Amino acid sequence: MKTLRVIYHLARADFLERVRRYSFLIMLGLVVWLGYLSASGQMRMRVPPDYTGVINSAWVGATMTVTVSLLLGWVGFYIVKGSVSRDYETGVGQIMATTPLSRPLYMLGKWLSNFAVLGIAVVIMMIEGILMNLLLGTHDLDLLALAVPLVVIALPCVALIAALAVLFESIGWLRGGLGNVIYFFAFMFALVWSGQIEDIGTPGKIANPYIDFTGWQIIGDSVSHAARAVYPDTAGGFAFSITDLAAPNIFLWNGLQWTRDILLSRGFFLLVAMGIVLTSSLFFDRFNPSRLTVKRKKADSDSPALTPAIEATPRPDIHLTPLPASRPRFRFDALYLAELKLLLRGQRWWWYVVAAGLVIAQLANTPDVTRILLVVAWVWPILLLSGLGSRESRHNTREMVFSAPRPVLTQLPATWLAAFTLMALTGSGALVKFLTLGDTHSILAWLVGAIFVPSLALAFGVLTGSSKTFEIVYVFWMYLILNKFAAIDFVGLTPNSPWLMYLGLSLVLMIVAVSIRQWQIKTR
Amino acid sequence: MNLIISHLSKQYRRDFWGLRDFDLELKPGVIGLLGPNGAGKSTLMRMLATITQPTEGKIEWNGVDIVKSPDALRAVLGYLPQDFGVYPNLTALEFLEYMAAIKGMDGKTARRRIDELLVLVNLAQAAKRPLGGYSGGMKQRVGIAQALLNDPQLLIVDEPTVGLDPEERVRFRNLLSDLSGERIILLSTHIVSDVEATATEIVIINKGQKRQHAAPEKLLALLDGKVWQWVIPSEDLPALKASHLVSGTIRRENGIQVRVVSEAAPAPEAERVTPSLEDVYLREVAQGSSSK
Repeated sequence: MKTLRVIYHLARADFLERVRRYSFLIMLGLVVWLGYLSASGQMRMRVPPDYTGVINSAWVGATMTVTVSLLLGWVGFYIVKGSVSRDYETGVGQIMATTPLSRPLYMLGKWLSNFAVLGIAVVIMMIEGILMNLLLGTHDLDLLALAVPLVVIALPCVALIAALAVLFESIGWLRGGLGNVIYFFAFMFALVWSGQIEDIGTPGKIANPYIDFTGWQIIGDSVSHAARAVYPDTAGGFAFSITDLAAPNIFLWNGLQWTRDILLSRGFFLLVAMGIVLTSSLFFDRFNPSRLTVKRKKADSDSPALTPAIEATPRPDIHLTPLPASRPRFRFDALYLAELKLLLRGQRWWWYVVAAGLVIAQLANTPDVTRILLVVAWVWPILLLSGLGSRESRHNTREMVFSAPRPVLTQLPATWLAAFTLMALTGSGALVKFLTLGDTHSILAWLVGAIFVPSLALAFGVLTGSSKTFEIVYVFWMYLILNKFAAIDFVGLTPNSPWLMYLGLSLVLMIVAVSIRQWQIKTR
Repeated sequence: MNLIISHLSKQYRRDFWGLRDFDLELKPGVIGLLGPNGAGKSTLMRMLATITQPTEGKIEWNGVDIVKSPDALRAVLGYLPQDFGVYPNLTALEFLEYMAAIKGMDGKTARRRIDELLVLVNLAQAAKRPLGGYSGGMKQRVGIAQALLNDPQLLIVDEPTVGLDPEERVRFRNLLSDLSGERIILLSTHIVSDVEATATEIVIINKGQKRQHAAPEKLLALLDGKVWQWVIPSEDLPALKASHLVSGTIRRENGIQVRVVSEAAPAPEAERVTPSLEDVYLREVAQGSSSK
């Protein structure tokens, strides 16, 4: 009983702390919008090319389930990750460490809080589905058909994501930006592997619910079978997107057949989630600074970062030489070099080796491969770029930096220019290659990319005061570019990319960053 | 050189003012700002440091309204916030170089100044170690050094001695006295002895309003003959606290020696003693609380 009380209060305090943040409101807004798209039929499941279901409670419930699995599976991780880090940063963790609270209990509390935050999104979507049904009256409301997929499929999925967030936070090197990047690729890989997206709904393929953590395969297979029953010519498959079908072929789908296997598999994912949470407690250092120091020292033997500084014996009083009354003119070059130093400080030697390797590889390959390598080389400094505009909040230097003369008109441009230099250096191999080939188009696209990325990072950093948003958006963006999504290709990887448009967008982002910083200084 | 604050107010919520109709004129010297938690000290300092803007009122630095033209002050401002951080991967030297660049100092002057400051704050030997490994007191000294980088004409220090050991605290007090020639130093603290040692003027603030502004000796004169001391049995202390303003207690063999601020003798055996700034401060805060 006492244990349950401890977990409850741990989770409650953490939950309340989070739901009172603006980021929670943003998440709710996103959920409500996606719920609307799902319930109104604008976001739809279909069997390619244009077979789609009648909008009924089962269809809306399943569409919402697929939406929430994707949204919370990916973005939800970033939304809930950070509660253990906050305990490190605020020092609350050290206070907790002096109590009898055990590691598994602490981790369980954090998991429950994560689960509650994500679970609220599922519940809100469910309520929205009901309200939309009552308001629009498109079909008779079947509460069970609408709610059960969300409860049985989406909730275990978010339980798993909540547990993964706890696991990432319990391991020191996964706690920060690197963990954010790794999770993105791990999630994409797991999605493709577990859902076997290519094969969903294909005749002859049997779904394995025990690896399908999102439930996409379970729903996709069922929907595809229903389509084939009405339209035997369809080749199967399953797609899910915001699509406006001109003349859709409609079929009726009355929901999933809840087989024993499906139900057991959802329970299985809940157990996996619990297993991950308990495993996390093995890695968790329980806010022990000495354990943290030893580990880091081992990993970074030549890093002086955590070596305690030794104090000198106090010297006799000395007096400061007064500075001349005439103050020298402001020097932008000095500030730019200081910003560049700040940007690059703290990187390990292997970081530079990889960056240099990527530059050489850009030089040594064919233009097509060079363009791909350029994208990779520009993702490499993501954790440096993500600090732009947000490091003053992160390290609590705002008051010192913003009380200096012209903080917006000097410091912000110097920060941007330092980041541009970083982009230019990491992409220098490609630039030399394009110059050698006289490829004007690629040179200009390179330039636009080198301007756009720092502008994006700065705008996100200033706007959110955190590095997380840029890390999430940027890695996804570059992933889509590598997958040849022409519309968002600002580096000119695809033949018809509108890279020039991003020059204008860069300007807009810079204006946004300057205006918001100006506003922040004036109003806070 | 002067700083004039007129009718300054800062509203945080509809029903909560951090500072209300605050007037003050400051001339060169060390001005100690005393007040309990939540009195409005940090709000006032942040507005003076151009970090936040007032809801109402005006702040003039040598005749220039700094709400409209903050850069007029920022060029000659040194500010040590109450709560601040540092970049953990930079060394103290690099951090100060960075702050010097932000403040627009040229490299040569900055380097010379940083060398002096590092010796002054006793960090010369640790200057090339990353700040991530510094103790709280050492970080505080880095903060003090950055505030002095540009030889400021207005130096605002918010709880500067927090985290410093007694020896460093004495050094810092001496430093403030040394610096207080042709500049205004605004020192906010809870530690009355810090103010006692250095301040040429004292401002007492409570509940967002100014309670007193005078030289220390004038403030002490307010309580001349009004501070009493005697020994009482331990069990009488709660009753005494309920009826009088007790500004200090010391346990003795025969009971508790109490120090009380009172217009008339609170007990026949009570003896008049010399008032201290702590007595003045406690009286002003108590009066401020009871008048609300």
